[in-house]
Amino acid sequence: MVLRLSGVAAGYGPKTVVSDVSFTLEPGQILAFLGHNGAGKTTTLKSIMGLLPLRSGSVAFDGQVLGRMSVADRIAMGLRLLPEGRGIFPDLTVEENIDVVAARNVEAGAMFGIADVYKLFPVMDERRATRAGSMSGGQQQMLAMSLAMLGTPRCLMLDEPSIGLAPNLVERMFEQVHDVCKSHAMTAVLVEQNVAAAMKIADRVIIMNNGAIVFDGLPDEARASDFWSYF
Amino acid sequence: MLALQLLVNGLVTGCALGVVAISFGLIYATTKLFHVAHAGVYTLSGYLAWSLVGHGVPAIGAMVVAMAAAALLGGLIQGVLYAELERRRATHLVVLIASLGTLAVMQNIIAAVYTPNILQFPLPWSSRMVSLGAVRLTWTQILTVVLCLSAFAGIMWFSHRTILGKQIRAVASNPFLAEITRLRPQRIYVTVVAIGSAVVALPGILVPLDLGLQPYSGITPLLTATIAMIAGGIGSIGGSFLVAVGIAVLQNMSLLIMPGEWSIGVTFGIFIIFMLFRPTGLFKGR
Repeated sequence: MVLRLSGVAAGYGPKTVVSDVSFTLEPGQILAFLGHNGAGKTTTLKSIMGLLPLRSGSVAFDGQVLGRMSVADRIAMGLRLLPEGRGIFPDLTVEENIDVVAARNVEAGAMFGIADVYKLFPVMDERRATRAGSMSGGQQQMLAMSLAMLGTPRCLMLDEPSIGLAPNLVERMFEQVHDVCKSHAMTAVLVEQNVAAAMKIADRVIIMNNGAIVFDGLPDEARASDFWSYF
Repeated sequence: MLALQLLVNGLVTGCALGVVAISFGLIYATTKLFHVAHAGVYTLSGYLAWSLVGHGVPAIGAMVVAMAAAALLGGLIQGVLYAELERRRATHLVVLIASLGTLAVMQNIIAAVYTPNILQFPLPWSSRMVSLGAVRLTWTQILTVVLCLSAFAGIMWFSHRTILGKQIRAVASNPFLAEITRLRPQRIYVTVVAIGSAVVALPGILVPLDLGLQPYSGITPLLTATIAMIAGGIGSIGGSFLVAVGIAVLQNMSLLIMPGEWSIGVTFGIFIIFMLFRPTGLFKGR
């Protein structure tokens, strides 16, 4: 297994947002992590990443309990987060974005080097000299994906990557995520409001409500159940 | 030919002011902290160079050592004071007050160690005049233009061509993403304040070479530099340098039509006009 959460609880100030979240993900698995706004999905991602301390429970990556390991060390192990709506450096050019992240994350033998992300997203190659913040939403999201994948990502967590994108772009992007996961045994956690698109590529569905998991199963099981009652 | 002489004097002062503006702007755009103690680093570097020259160190050596000391001091202020305050979740207002406090302490230590009176550099060549056509310049003024323009070009090159410079701009652009892409923003903050401090030591030494040293003299250039930074567009190195030169030229040229004590008023007049018509500055984010 790649990622294991056991009884994770986390929150802000006096408020506990998620409690007793447990799941295990295998290499190459794609998880559709669903739930309405405020259900605790982003909070869960932040605690996996080490951006938020755990109130209780544990997160293990690659069989190692992360405990109080720093954010930087978690990234070095292969955890990646594509944050909602702010996954690029808007004042830098596309090439500069890729160069600064590659300089700190791509080591010899890495899964994705600079040339690999340009091959994966040819538009980025054409846009090298463009200021990242001036590109369209879809292109910005592609750049954000490129940055999150540089180095050796073993588990990529995407927080609402489809926000503000045209439906056909979302579909293409999700297909790409699917292909990379299957070809590189990369695990993906996909937090999405676009439930239909996310379910299409997912191997597994977890639905959160009020900070707790209310459904955990296969996409077909989810579809067969009284799906929307979980939200 | 008074107008021409004033224009040239303005350009010279503007180059020095421009370097104060880009160094302060580099720090502000990256850390988002209003690093008022920068004025103290500016002043102290001049005194340090003065002491070294007084002990027989050659001018160039004194300058290099003072710049290194300024970098160390700036790095300490960020790494020890500001970082610790941020770690305790202090607001930017608290950090600003801590910065003001640091400035006051530095100024008073300088006044206690060196006297509050004006001190002149014991370097006779610095005030020797050179005639260039109708314009007369001191060697200090020529040195100021050459070194400050080089510093400007150097900073431009550094922040757009080197990986560290790009990392600094990345942290300025999106600190959260910098954190989750291992750019280590906290280290970048220390680095950027150290670099800004080394750079501000240049005008910190060159200006007093002409005007003499005074413990409390750092505030006015910093205030003017702040205006240049805002009017030039925060994050725009070229913009703040250009506006700083413009302000200095207008301050000098205004002497033709009004008394000298109005020059600060001219500065703020320019600022108000900018804020009314171009509130994001001349070259926002370029």
